[in-house]
Formats: sequence, C-alpha cells, structure tokens
Amino acid sequence: MQEGQDGKRDSKRVLVIPCSGIGKVHGLMSREAAYLVADELVPDKADLVCLALLVKEDEATIGKVKAHPCIAIDGCGKGCAMKNVELAGGEVIRAFQVGRFLSGHRGARPGSGSELTEEGWAVTREIAEAVADEVDGLCAREEVA
Amino acid sequence: MSAEMNKTPKIGIISCSGEEIPEGTISRNAVRRVLEYLRPHETVTLCLPLFLAGNEGERNFARTHPVVTIDGCGKQCARWGTERHGGPVARALVVSDILGPGAAGCSRSARGRTPADESAEAVVADRIAREVDALRAKGATPRDKGDGV
Repeated sequence: MQEGQDGKRDSKRVLVIPCSGIGKVHGLMSREAAYLVADELVPDKADLVCLALLVKEDEATIGKVKAHPCIAIDGCGKGCAMKNVELAGGEVIRAFQVGRFLSGHRGARPGSGSELTEEGWAVTREIAEAVADEVDGLCAREEVA
Repeated sequence: MSAEMNKTPKIGIISCSGEEIPEGTISRNAVRRVLEYLRPHETVTLCLPLFLAGNEGERNFARTHPVVTIDGCGKQCARWGTERHGGPVARALVVSDILGPGAAGCSRSARGRTPADESAEAVVADRIAREVDALRAKGATPRDKGDGV
C-alpha cells in the first residue's frame, strides 16, 4: 500500500474521482454516480476530489490521493480519471467505466450531457451501488487487516 | 452576421470540472447552455482533463481557437491548464466572481436542483455568450489573446 505525505495511509475514507466529461451523457452519469456514493450510499466512507485540481498538480489534492485509496469512475475508454490519479502517484483500487455499464443495457436512452432520463438515472444508480460495494468491501478488508 | 465575423474561428470554451463544489456544476451546465442553445454555431468545447492529459490533437485545441475559460472557484484550474499548454486565454471567467453569494443554495448534483440552480446557470451562460460575442465582433484569432479577464 502506498503512503501519503505524512508517511501514513488513511484507508478509512475512499476517494471517488469521477470523469469530467462535458460533451456526452457518460460524464454526467459518472459525476452523478459519484455524488450518489458520497452523499447518499456511503457518506461516512467516501469523499470526492475534483479531477481538475489533480491535473493542476494542487499539492493538497495530490497529498489526498496519495493518502487514500482511490476509485475512478470514467465515462469513456480514455480513462482520464484513472490516468490522472496514477500520474499523481495515487493508487487506483478499482476503475469503473460508464460505457461498460451502458453496454449491459442495450437500447437504453440515458439522456444527454445536460440531463438524465429515468433510464439514465437507473444505470447511474447501478454504477453508484457497484462503487459503494467496492468502498464497503475495501473498508471491511482494511479493518480486518 | 458580417463577412468578417464569418472568418473568425469558433470560440473554444473550457470549463472547470469542479466535481466537489456547486460552482463546478454551474460552470459545466452554463457552458452546455451556451453550446446547445445560446451560441451553438460559434462555440466548441473540450473537457479539461482530456485537454491536459490528451494527445497532440487535443492539446492543439487552444492553438486553433481563441479560448474562454470558465472556472468554478479562484483556483482557476481551467485557466491554469489552458495557459500552460496553449498560452494566454482570451477571457477567463470565474463563477464565484460572477455570482458572488448567488451560488448559495445551489447543488452539485442534478438530484438537488432548484430554481436557484437554474437562475445561476442562466446568469453565467449569458455572461459567457456576451464574451463570445465580444471576441467574435473583434475578429479574435487564436493568436489574438485578450486581457485574460
């Protein structure tokens, strides 16, 4: 396990880093999934980090990703969230991709980059639940260890 | 539209990603309003992390378009990233400067949207559209950098 700036890794909270995609529905779904995780499903175990702060090489943000386990939720295969966490020296415990969830719902019309449909929200919740399960599992493993 | 304005390249808009704060959501939604409804034929965008982590084609964005950056907070990640890879931006806007306390009560998630979000996004989108118009009116080119304000 990687250590943070203070030499210790705080695994009590997991950082969720969503994609920042603005052009397509995938980015919106990744952000809304992250909000569901951090605000509703596991608010005591997960926090969000601005991806832009990470790519700006903000010291405090880099310190955070080095000190906490990270989960990336990317919209597409370009994997900006995952890549930027790794570039910052963080450890991506698990990388999710919105596109993979959508491919399990062929024909679904999730909405646009501005708005999600009911179907879009349903898939978004599915993503959020998968992320929250990962957070729960990770926190449980760390406690046992 | 004048023949001169037709020669002006589309204006690039790069938005803050600001996932942690409501101002980030306001900035993205305002940019989408501009792209979809207010100035659809005059503007283009690229997501910030892709611009920063992308290939040469994506990095070229700021060299081929006059760019307006729109940031959620004073850290101005969009401006910083764009200037690092593409030189000075034509305009740099900050949501918290435009709205002041007007962002209070706004939500970072669409689940918590209220009329306050709608109103804040409209104000910011109008401001972006005005800057786009001003740049096109003066025939801005990618090399023709503005005052960065």
